[in-house]
Amino acid sequence: MNPREFFINPADYGLPTRDELVAYRIWDNHFHGFAARNPIEQYERNNFFVERMGIERSIAQEVGGTLEKPFDPYPYDAEILKILERDKDRLSGRTPIDPGYPDESCAKIEKWIRNGPCIGIKYLGSAINGVRCDHPNNDPIMRLAAELGVHAYVHTWLKVGGTPRLPGGDNGESESTPMDLAKLAQRFPEVPLICGHSGGDWELGVRAVRPHKNIFLEFAGSDPHSGMVEYAIRELGADRLVWGGHGPSRSYATELGKVLDADISTGDRMKILGGNLRRITAPFFRKKGMRIEI
Amino acid sequence: MKPIDRREFLKSSLLGGTAISISDPRLLAAQTAAVSAPIASSSETPGIIDTNVNLFDWPFRALKYRDTKALAAKLRNHGIVEAWAGSFGALFAKDMGGVNGRLADECLEHGQGFLIPFGSVNLAWPDWEEDVRRCHEVHKMPGIRIYPGYQPFDLDHPGMERLVKMISERGLVLQVVFGMEDPRVHHPIIRVGSVTLSPLLKASRNTPNAKIQLLHFSGAIRGGDLSSFTEQTNIVMELSRLEGNGAIGRMIGSIEGLPSARVPVERILFGSHAPFFPVETAILKLVESPLNAEQLQAIMQGNARRLLSRV
Repeated sequence: MNPREFFINPADYGLPTRDELVAYRIWDNHFHGFAARNPIEQYERNNFFVERMGIERSIAQEVGGTLEKPFDPYPYDAEILKILERDKDRLSGRTPIDPGYPDESCAKIEKWIRNGPCIGIKYLGSAINGVRCDHPNNDPIMRLAAELGVHAYVHTWLKVGGTPRLPGGDNGESESTPMDLAKLAQRFPEVPLICGHSGGDWELGVRAVRPHKNIFLEFAGSDPHSGMVEYAIRELGADRLVWGGHGPSRSYATELGKVLDADISTGDRMKILGGNLRRITAPFFRKKGMRIEI
Repeated sequence: MKPIDRREFLKSSLLGGTAISISDPRLLAAQTAAVSAPIASSSETPGIIDTNVNLFDWPFRALKYRDTKALAAKLRNHGIVEAWAGSFGALFAKDMGGVNGRLADECLEHGQGFLIPFGSVNLAWPDWEEDVRRCHEVHKMPGIRIYPGYQPFDLDHPGMERLVKMISERGLVLQVVFGMEDPRVHHPIIRVGSVTLSPLLKASRNTPNAKIQLLHFSGAIRGGDLSSFTEQTNIVMELSRLEGNGAIGRMIGSIEGLPSARVPVERILFGSHAPFFPVETAILKLVESPLNAEQLQAIMQGNARRLLSRV
């Protein structure tokens, strides 16, 4: 089937058509297209859905290493670089780092961001050495981010568990919470930080990051809950929300449903679906010689 | 755009159903989706049967569409022509008779012929069989919805085989809910037990005529259970928990280059999990997956009508 071939008209069901999705100018803040045993095949296959759902640009979370082994050379790096060049009008990347290894992380940022194609930093969610995003190890990484003018995406969750049983009590040792991110944001207010997954528990995640204007809340990779986007707008404002698809493991349908559920203006919807991310990244794109229309 | 032909859609959606009769005219009007107009909608587009919504208050958050009237209007705005409704009250209540009575009344008041009540029984509570009888005989409900895990039992409960037999003898549909929300973000005060599919497969094999549907089921079925599910049972499932780009297509094998179907399209029904999930999400899954007209009609309502055809 052609990706633009539909046997159902979304407009008949109160939903945007593909043309209307395209008009929203959707930027996917959270793309795992290269996270697979065969990343190239997965990426190419997923383009069917990118095209079908009218996604304008995807930000790959694993360019230069993997989330499991961020500092090891990845056999597919060369092919991924070629794809980044080939698809530069619709694909960008972040490079994963681990603050447990600040020197190596800074070296990666130099290689893949200052001297490479990436436009942001990706903090892992599952490092092994117990260093979260609020640890002093992060300071050189943040100083370098500030110098380059790039943002950092930080995986955050609040997994319930532990003794006493509380949100975040079941997080991995190195898995940051929105509260950890808030501490980092306070130290580096000049660096745009993206609170990945809204902290999973979005009601608490929003509360944790609320005072820090340099934190943007990402809707991706958690269940779609009716009312979540309106709640976040009420507490943070529409200018601080970004949207991610988290595909191919999550579906664009799941993630778009979160925003389409909200009774908000078209302008706010466009900010969340891409405008805010363009605003965060446009200065760095310009440094790379790429003009982004916000 | 190749829209679904409405006449063909109507015709095929009505095939294969068995009928039960309801004598009370008020109940009939309220709880029957008339076969003569099963997919009427405000436009010429085929409507959707949503097999998984819940009414009343979610205990941990004021949901946007917690008001039944608002929920019904919202669903209708998105082309839903019939919604099978359970009650959030069934998760923790001990007075199941009260829960089921309020559900029946609410469906009558706000969704005549639109909201179809599915009462609940709790196998961990004594004399749950009486709740089955009341759901069927007093409230004329066409099915029962259970919430194992929240209700304190798993599907290996000794009463499970008996429940499956009872719903089969009465011609009811049994809906088994596999979750309500991601357990990682549960309120710390609750500990929801896990739900194991295998005992349900066994019960289904032992009562092959039982009509069983899995709600909010991820589709993650392991080896032996998968072949048992597809080859030895008639169990169906809805799509609200299917996740990943093209999830429905991957499940039924409609995506080129990927492995063949895990579950035949005849087993997939539409379910939104509204008002907890946005109804938009489930409908967008139909758009996202590469599905042809026949597959869409089956999922949107043909399969549901085959499971629950009423006159």
